[in-house]
Amino acid sequence: MAAPPGPGLVHVEPKQRLTAPPSSASTAATLVLIGLAAASVWAFIDLRINVATFVDGVHNAVAFAARVFPLDFPSFGEILLLCGQTLAIVVLATLLSTCLSVPLAVLAAGNTTPGDTSRLGSRAVIVIARAVPDLVLAIVFVRIFGIGALTGVLAMGLHSIGMIGKMYADAIEQIDNAAATALKAAGASRLQQIAGGVLPPVLPAFVAVGLHRLDINLRVTVVLGFVGVQGIGFAIAESLKVLDYQRGIALAVVVLGLCIVVELISGAIRTALLGRSSGPRGGITGAITGAAGALGRRAGLGARDAERSDEHLGVDPDLTRDPRLRSAAALADGRVGPPWDGARIGGACYALVTAAVVLASFSGAGISVTEAFGSLPRVFDSVGLFLPPETGGLFGELLVQLLITIKIALAATLIGVVLSLPIGALAARNVAPSPAVANTFRLVILIIRGIPELILAIIFVVITGLGEVAGAVALGIGGVGLLGKLVADSLEEIDPGPERALAATGAGRGQVLFAATLPAGMKALVAHVLYLLDTNIRAATLLGIVGAGGIGFYLLNASRVLEFGVVTTIILMVFATVMLFELLAIWLRSRF
Amino acid sequence: MTTVDEVLGSGAGPPLPHAPVVEFSRVTKRFGPDVLGLDDISLTVRTGEVVVLLGLSGSGKSTLLRHVDGLQLPTSGSVRVLGTEVTTAGGGELRTLRRRIGFVFQQFDLVGCRTVLENVCTGALGRIRGPRLGLPTYPKALRREGLERLDRVGLADRAFQRSDTLSGGQQQRVAVARALMQRPEVLLADEPVASLDPESSAQVMDLLKTISREDSLTVLCSLHQVDLALGWGDRIVGLRTGRMVLDLPAAGLDRDQVMAVYSRVGADASALLGAAG
Repeated sequence: MAAPPGPGLVHVEPKQRLTAPPSSASTAATLVLIGLAAASVWAFIDLRINVATFVDGVHNAVAFAARVFPLDFPSFGEILLLCGQTLAIVVLATLLSTCLSVPLAVLAAGNTTPGDTSRLGSRAVIVIARAVPDLVLAIVFVRIFGIGALTGVLAMGLHSIGMIGKMYADAIEQIDNAAATALKAAGASRLQQIAGGVLPPVLPAFVAVGLHRLDINLRVTVVLGFVGVQGIGFAIAESLKVLDYQRGIALAVVVLGLCIVVELISGAIRTALLGRSSGPRGGITGAITGAAGALGRRAGLGARDAERSDEHLGVDPDLTRDPRLRSAAALADGRVGPPWDGARIGGACYALVTAAVVLASFSGAGISVTEAFGSLPRVFDSVGLFLPPETGGLFGELLVQLLITIKIALAATLIGVVLSLPIGALAARNVAPSPAVANTFRLVILIIRGIPELILAIIFVVITGLGEVAGAVALGIGGVGLLGKLVADSLEEIDPGPERALAATGAGRGQVLFAATLPAGMKALVAHVLYLLDTNIRAATLLGIVGAGGIGFYLLNASRVLEFGVVTTIILMVFATVMLFELLAIWLRSRF
Repeated sequence: MTTVDEVLGSGAGPPLPHAPVVEFSRVTKRFGPDVLGLDDISLTVRTGEVVVLLGLSGSGKSTLLRHVDGLQLPTSGSVRVLGTEVTTAGGGELRTLRRRIGFVFQQFDLVGCRTVLENVCTGALGRIRGPRLGLPTYPKALRREGLERLDRVGLADRAFQRSDTLSGGQQQRVAVARALMQRPEVLLADEPVASLDPESSAQVMDLLKTISREDSLTVLCSLHQVDLALGWGDRIVGLRTGRMVLDLPAAGLDRDQVMAVYSRVGADASALLGAAG
């Protein structure tokens, strides 16, 4: 038996390991990640995304610019009308989705679910909703409900459950269950426990997630315009169809402005609700930590609140010194509802504005409930049209196109990651050399986020010509809006302790970055990149419809020429692909 | 070996002819194959008795309390509370039973982002129907009752503040008011002052004592502080690794006897019970 090493001595045997032994699980996950990275590089090269393509494209762009300018804006009234219609559809779709997501999330969250069956069942519904792109739903619903607002509301409303439902369930799982248990101990029913003990702490996060989805849906609605959902996207599609670029691009500029305005408003509300802005950080952890932080800060305001409550009592100051007498005075006062102080008035105003927006949306979207129910009998006929799946003799071609779509998504993710890491790092206040730099890059990210991918795709279709390169570059740049923000937020959330400790040992800025900041952020980064890949797979399908390559183009064409059997085949192929990547992502996330 | 009943019968305890309220008979709770939460516990608590549970963390005090209102169910044995057999009670029966039992937790377990009064009103959920979210969804009469309960713990003037703006001691008093809202016959308290500073502890303990006396509540309360236990309880029950190692009237006990519950070595369960008898 070897003697234990003496104090202060580390005894190193000649053959002793100096690195941790690898575990088989993390090795497999690392290999899969390396495989994905290699595939992305291959896709990037294979799609011939290079400088030459863009140099060639310059004269295209110049020629195109000549046809675009001067921009032909419609009248102000018309713009307002289009924006209103679009916003109405987006608000209703998001509202529908949140309403459906709350019960689903309650069933799906481990701490509120009645049993494993309902938990797995509702988790499955959520994953399926995520995997069926809203464009696909819209193509189906247009057959049933016709061209109009309802199609858009249903398509976006149902697809959004995939994100909102998951985030709500995660939010519920992160709360402290103790309050609900206390209500249970008092004899409250299951529903009473959920309403009284679970919903109050998650409501701010619920609203924030809803607003975040509102931003996303606003950008999606532009795409849905191409398959017949009313609003500004529809107007763009109509203009482009008749090659009226002056009008089409003018409308695209309007959309850009609208998206940025809505993003700013919803971002401000979310910041107020959660204490800081937060996106879907591979889950809702960010939103929740934000909410918890806000709660903590509010707890600190206790003293101020106490003073305020003294004021509202309005009793003899001598009385207010004795807490027992103060309590008795409040009882004698007999008030059983909260006083109308600033906070309550503010809350009531928010509620009124929200109600007004929802009501306006109902009238603005012009959805007739009776008409909607009238179309229901047509559901069976319409669904019959889509069955059985057919290939129209194109299966080989469809497989090739599906592969191209996957290639676009992979290459776009690579572009997104390569651009986002430096941009995101520079936007993080604890990494950027100065606050001004951080703010500048935050603004860049915000503007990129505001541009719908479709508009980017149209621009790149013009520059690089129809095809895959346009799709990959558009998605890649659009990805900076998502990933750049997530990277910046994650970097800012990293515990500064280890960084300080390393800096104190005399390590340089770069050494600290690699030894402390990056390792701490690695897990989050992997999750975010997988999330981006996931999003890109679905988006790559959608962008095909403006000629940006891949299977989306075939999807739109098949529905235009009424080959619904082929539409079903394509939907199934897309669904299988998305599910495959989704499961891969879940598996990878559990390994890191 | 002296049985529990003999000890109780031997004198200084509370007046006996009262009906049993809580009856544990040979209750064992296992967490997994190796961990014993409760080990063959038999215990009878009668109306109006104040029983204090003592023991190290992990000795089974919380587990025992949570068995009283069926938040946890035993692996074997029987738990009868207020005439209901908890182990076989259905959902509705259990809810009716829980309504009659107030529970005060160590961490208060209030809904922090809601007002104090709304938290108190949630204590009445057992007797109203349907889910409630927000103070205005509770009937006015209930809210008035809640305000009275709040005044009883001296906090009616805080009714419309967010409950997380209160200090720890105040929050625990709100939790007591919430339990009172149930008009309970039995009060369970799981280390109600363990996370409070000494002054707040004293306030909350005084409150619990006053209420239990005024309402002649049957109380089961777990505590860490031996002095508090001796000053309040009619009867002291000591637990170690899930076993009952002490069950005596508080009156004749001295500090050292009780401290033996906490010593890890030398104090064999039967020896303790025997020596005391």
